[in-house]
Amino acid sequence: MVDFIQNTLDGIALGSAYALLALGFTLIFGVMGRLNIAYGPCIMIGVFAGAGVYSDLTQSIVMIFVATLAGTILASAYVERVSFAAIRADAALASMVSTFAVWMQLEEIVAHLFPARTYAFKELGHLSLIEAGPFFLRQESLFMLLVTLAVLLGLALVLGRSHFGLELRALTDSRRAAIISGINVRRIIFLTFLLAAMIGGVAGFMIAMSDGQVTPKFGLWATMKGLVAMVIGGLASLRGAVLGGMLLGIIEAQAQWYFGASVREILVYAILFAALILLPRGILGGPHTVWRS
Amino acid sequence: MLEIRDLRTSYGKIAALKGVALDIKDGGLTCLLGPNGAGKTTLIWTLAAILKAQSGSIRMDGEELIGAKPHQIVSKGIVTVPENRLVFPEMSVTDNLFAGAFSRRADKIAVAQDLEEVLQRFPRLRERANQDAGTLSGGEQQMLAVARALMARPKILLLDEPSTGLAPIIVEEIFEIIGALRDEGRTIFLVEQNANMALEYADDFYLLEQGLVTFGGKPGDVDHDELIQRAYLGTRKAS
Amino acid sequence: MDVYTITVLANIALFSFLAISAWLLLLVGEISFGQQAYFAIGAYTGGVSTAVLQLPFGIALLMAIAAGGLFAGLVAIPAMRLSGLHFSIASLAFAELVRSVLNVFQYQRWVDGYLTGPDGVNGFRDIRWIYDAGIDPGTYFLMILGCLSVVMLGVVMASYGRGMTIVRSVGENRRLAAAQGMNATRVRIITASVAGAIAALGGTLYAHMATYIEPAQFGLMIGVHSLAYGLIGGMGTVFGPLLGVLIDIGALETLRIFSGYRMIFFGGLVALVLIMRPRGILDEATVAKVQRWLRG
Ligand SMILES: Nc1ncnc2c1ncn2[C@@H]1O[C@H](COP(=O)(O)OP(=O)(O)O)[C@@H](O)[C@H]1O
Ligand SMILES: [Mg+2]
Repeated sequence: MVDFIQNTLDGIALGSAYALLALGFTLIFGVMGRLNIAYGPCIMIGVFAGAGVYSDLTQSIVMIFVATLAGTILASAYVERVSFAAIRADAALASMVSTFAVWMQLEEIVAHLFPARTYAFKELGHLSLIEAGPFFLRQESLFMLLVTLAVLLGLALVLGRSHFGLELRALTDSRRAAIISGINVRRIIFLTFLLAAMIGGVAGFMIAMSDGQVTPKFGLWATMKGLVAMVIGGLASLRGAVLGGMLLGIIEAQAQWYFGASVREILVYAILFAALILLPRGILGGPHTVWRS
Repeated sequence: MLEIRDLRTSYGKIAALKGVALDIKDGGLTCLLGPNGAGKTTLIWTLAAILKAQSGSIRMDGEELIGAKPHQIVSKGIVTVPENRLVFPEMSVTDNLFAGAFSRRADKIAVAQDLEEVLQRFPRLRERANQDAGTLSGGEQQMLAVARALMARPKILLLDEPSTGLAPIIVEEIFEIIGALRDEGRTIFLVEQNANMALEYADDFYLLEQGLVTFGGKPGDVDHDELIQRAYLGTRKAS
Repeated sequence: MDVYTITVLANIALFSFLAISAWLLLLVGEISFGQQAYFAIGAYTGGVSTAVLQLPFGIALLMAIAAGGLFAGLVAIPAMRLSGLHFSIASLAFAELVRSVLNVFQYQRWVDGYLTGPDGVNGFRDIRWIYDAGIDPGTYFLMILGCLSVVMLGVVMASYGRGMTIVRSVGENRRLAAAQGMNATRVRIITASVAGAIAALGGTLYAHMATYIEPAQFGLMIGVHSLAYGLIGGMGTVFGPLLGVLIDIGALETLRIFSGYRMIFFGGLVALVLIMRPRGILDEATVAKVQRWLRG
């Protein structure tokens, strides 16, 4: 039981990172009805930019953060222009395939600019444990949880209080109604990409900091985790994305502890496959969130 | 004043509007009648710039509107209440109304005043202000759609068959609201199949058949029965 | 022909199996990111058949085809109820599932003094049938080409019969096809199964040429490439996916000007084609035009 609870604690921390990734996917899917598979690789550009600044320019945590964010945003803006804005409105699946094409490009760009593959990233500092009875929380876990909470709070404010948030929600709810209400759809989509990129940049920064390094595998990793969490949560539900991320984190932590890493991988994909078939709307997907091809 | 001339719109190879011409006069209710499939909805979507016109012109006080984006049309004050009551089903009634004011976001105080005014006009919406729009009845959703359009402070209001699919008593209510809006001097373009009701309120009317305006005038100008026959069935009485 | 040329040509042919497999699913309107799963299943089934079980090569091919078709059919039965995005993610999930299972799959035996068979992440060594049988690379390439020709001939024949019309109309509009009395779900499942079998055939041919396979070779990017081949080559004809493979492997990989930047060019090319011609270079309209012209 102690193990189980401890794993759950670790899982929630890991899951908070997944939750942020899933949020980015969900925001874009919400306004576009299309999937940006290159979301993870865009964040990879960001963390490599951060690692580059860290190794060549400065130790300043602020500068590294800014570089990570800027890299992610730049790459996302490129994806939005090439794979979404430029593709005909009736070719939703072409967009998804196009994001894969851009992904290939982003990977090769990283391979050229960062030939050594593995790069150090600014670390969080000394890893002391926070203990409570038989349980403990690693410092980086606490850091991830706090950052995630801050992002969620900020996102809730933006969505609930700002004019842009209202427009984003409206566009997610009904594209047609949004258009006839006078929303400039292209502008909101672009801004949503930027918002998702910012969330992804923060997530990438915090993951890279707790890992202390970055590798080109980050892109695939981030896309898969975000996608799985999003699907578990129900494709277009923001609350579902957060819940799906947490659930995925907990499942992974338990599986890793009881069965080891390779079984964990198998389990994650088996769950994703089963979830798609048994719960195509996810755990929180409502009647309006069904994908139409 | 909106002048529509030689407007053509098609779906692929199928021509739906084949050179429509009509005027929407300021401060009156212009009504467009026509049978199913005549192209009424197509005309509304073309005016809203959701559908692209192939050729022709739409001028508002002399300014050409063909080529503008949908959101620019709304900013110019042409606001649509589409058929089938398009609301934001998962947003609250209040947020739906705020959404109507997208085009005037800078004007916070005025928007708040308008919200109050609209809720006064539609007391039932005030009762349901925090409910999701998807949970409203059909009639309430139609009122919400009209109310949302009013939030944009429209110069011209385009209404596409607001009475379709509603119980007769609700239809009466909707038409009373439309009549009240007309009496306040608003410019309204009403598309209807319910010719009887529409003609009671209309200042001018047009008849659209198979993508062409085949008749225009004042409600008193023609034999009422024949007009209604044509509006419903699109066939000329053998005479 | 020198060995390098033969290797490039063989690679083009092998990728064509995968590309045709993904292209067939595009015809029924589904985007699969996971055809590499059946390629892997074919590679492992075929490899185990000849190397571990010491079965004849022909039997190995048949077993691989059967395994690919069976797995693809079993996956399609639940997955084909989904559509669009859900199907795509399910295909991706299944492919990664297969890969992570292969990462722990072990089945090794001593054969003629060699320890051979799948060994998890360490891969599967010594699939030596073509060497033991004394087949030179040129001959083996001709064998691959023979198999590919059979597959393409099958697709072309189906296009002249009723089969392809049914497949395409299900892809155009599932409900309309169903309303006209076609069993759309069955058509989709059968197509998926055939696509799986074709990929598996390619996989087993690949395993015997490479002699060494490992789970990491069957990653997501292979699947995406094969999908992209059909999409840029075109949906109108089975030569579309082939054209895609030729452009990528034939031109970009072998032309030295792109060395090291191939993915940037190929990715850009795919993105550009999707913008200008969402249904590929040889799309249905183009193919119809060419056919009319050929008939005079
Ligand atoms: N999305 C569409 N695709 C193809 N044809 C359409 C479409 N919508 C309407 N049409 C055709 O255009 C014509 C006009 O339709 P519509 O404008 O909806 O008529 P109304 O609103 O007067 O009933 C009809 O013949 C209809 O079949
Ligand atoms: Mg209509």
